[in-house]
Amino acid sequence: MRALVVEDDADVAADLGQALQNAGFVVDIAREGEDAWFKGNVEDYDVAVLDLGLPRMDGLSVLKHWRGAQRTFPVLILSARNDWTEKVAGIESGADDYLGKPFEMAELTARVRALVRRAAGHASPLIEVGRLVLDTRRMSASYAGRPIRLSQLEFRFLDYLAHQNGRAVSAGELAEHLYGAAEPGDSNAIEALVVRLRRKLGPEIIETRRGFGYVLAGGGA
Amino acid sequence: MIPRSLRLRLLLGAAIAFFLALAAAWIAMTLLFERHIERRIEADLQREGLQLAAGVQLAGDGTLRLNRQPADVRFTEPASGLYWQVAGPRSTLRSRSLWDQELPPSDTAQGGTWTTRIVEGPFEPRLLLVERRVRPDPQGETVLLQLGHEEKSLQAARAEFGAELALFLALLWTILAAASWVQVKLGLRPLLSIRREVEALQRNPHARLDAASVLEIEPLTRAINDLADARARDLERARRRAADLAHGLKTPLAALSAQSRRAREAGAAEAADGLDRAIAAATTAVESELARSRVSAIQNAPPRSCPALPVIEAIIGVVERTEFGAQLVFETDVPEDAHVPVAEEDLMELMGALIENAARFARRRVRIGGCGSDAALETLTVEDDGPGIEPEHLSKALMRGGRLDEVGGGHGLGLAIAHDLAEATRGAMRLSRSEFGGLKITIAWPRVHAPA
Repeated sequence: MRALVVEDDADVAADLGQALQNAGFVVDIAREGEDAWFKGNVEDYDVAVLDLGLPRMDGLSVLKHWRGAQRTFPVLILSARNDWTEKVAGIESGADDYLGKPFEMAELTARVRALVRRAAGHASPLIEVGRLVLDTRRMSASYAGRPIRLSQLEFRFLDYLAHQNGRAVSAGELAEHLYGAAEPGDSNAIEALVVRLRRKLGPEIIETRRGFGYVLAGGGA
Repeated sequence: MIPRSLRLRLLLGAAIAFFLALAAAWIAMTLLFERHIERRIEADLQREGLQLAAGVQLAGDGTLRLNRQPADVRFTEPASGLYWQVAGPRSTLRSRSLWDQELPPSDTAQGGTWTTRIVEGPFEPRLLLVERRVRPDPQGETVLLQLGHEEKSLQAARAEFGAELALFLALLWTILAAASWVQVKLGLRPLLSIRREVEALQRNPHARLDAASVLEIEPLTRAINDLADARARDLERARRRAADLAHGLKTPLAALSAQSRRAREAGAAEAADGLDRAIAAATTAVESELARSRVSAIQNAPPRSCPALPVIEAIIGVVERTEFGAQLVFETDVPEDAHVPVAEEDLMELMGALIENAARFARRRVRIGGCGSDAALETLTVEDDGPGIEPEHLSKALMRGGRLDEVGGGHGLGLAIAHDLAEATRGAMRLSRSEFGGLKITIAWPRVHAPA
């Protein structure tokens, strides 16, 4: 596993590198933006930890350049500012997670591990059902060619339905799959989730089969 | 002593000036009146004198004879104050009113023109005397015609006129003083409105003075506005510096905690503990300074508004990526184009804190709702299906008094901070129980704001 740490403060960079090494990563360190851009473009990393306040080129620009060049490794951004405007800008530029400074090193390694775990583990990265395409590496989707950002829960919901080959799945079964063990009231949460997905992707994406459950549009049957 | 009140000063000045002017007018008018009366009496005496002259005959022996007596009865009453006397070379005729007295002889009287002088009268101290020499017979000698009128009645008329005029002028003075009072009051009114505007400026540093429609006051209002601008700039600079300082401390703090960890690994656990405590204290101070600076920045900003839904969706996009947000359904029930009376970055901080807080405690669902009239939202709600807060603790939850509420992870803006932010945007925050079982937070803004 290879990780890229981009941080201008020498102490923090060394600390981050040490912590990730202890967590089993092979770590490269970049101390400024252009170097980070270059390393991210030519090396294959499994994850990057990116500080936003960098000399020469700021972190958000580095991230945008990576994503523009189709570099899809998960990125966790670090920032001293820690306000929501910056969090939103980071996520919208293609970051996968966000941590404000100062942070607990244990939390950082846990988040980095979670990002790597999320990105791995899918044999075939793309699943197509009708006009819906699920990218299992990026946990994103596109519908009729239009890219859609999904939360983990939404993605798992669509992923589960996509694997049913047109079988209608009841709310109870979905809740059991998504939450592990279904509790009373969970079917309401599933209903709310369906409403949200229909709003994001279009009302026709999920059909309701009365008495049976939900089915993805264009999923056969 | 000069009074401190500008109004009193102006009033006193006006009253004194009016008084002096009216007193001068009184003196001048009384003199003019006296001159006028005198001239009238002179004219009357001259007319009588001409009639007298027409009746005078000088006999051959030098004695005088009068064909016709002047008609005025006062010439016949002794010491009446109206007298005539005709003095020839050898005899003198005089009115009955002179009784046994006579008018003083004259060196100055001329022929052809009347002369006037004041003399001591036979029965009164002052007598107005007109006199002229006439020649009744072209070849004969001249006779001296004299007619006198006492001055007492003239002085009485003048005193009466003076008194009446004084009364009238006093009335005029009162009216003028009242008018100047009104004038001062009206004139000072712009100052009163300036005072009101300066008070408004004190409450809202973004208000500016508007009394510039008065030409003379404009430099003052402009100076005050410039001062307010300078103060706003200074405040803004100080605030930015404080925020920059707080931000700037974060990376060194992260570096310090790296050092602390290294110290711990090297066996200096005690030193590391001390270091960690100091770092935690500094972090708290930095966070609360940043929160305070944000709150005061909002309070000092002009009212703005922004569409709510894009901000809420953007925040959900972030929270969905967090560990606790990944498993939740976020429902939004906010009209698409609806605006809230809050600047976008402030709404982001406020809703970010609330949604993140809700996501921390929610089990399955977080719902964000908005309601209000047409395009302008008046309330936003955030509710979750978590354990919620017991009713008896609801009121306490907000009472941590503007302190940073350290909710998990050491970086959270808690409910108390959200509360401060809501108040800074002129909103009110209320906690209640959600129909999902968890906490429901309602932020309500007053109705006055129009959508941008």
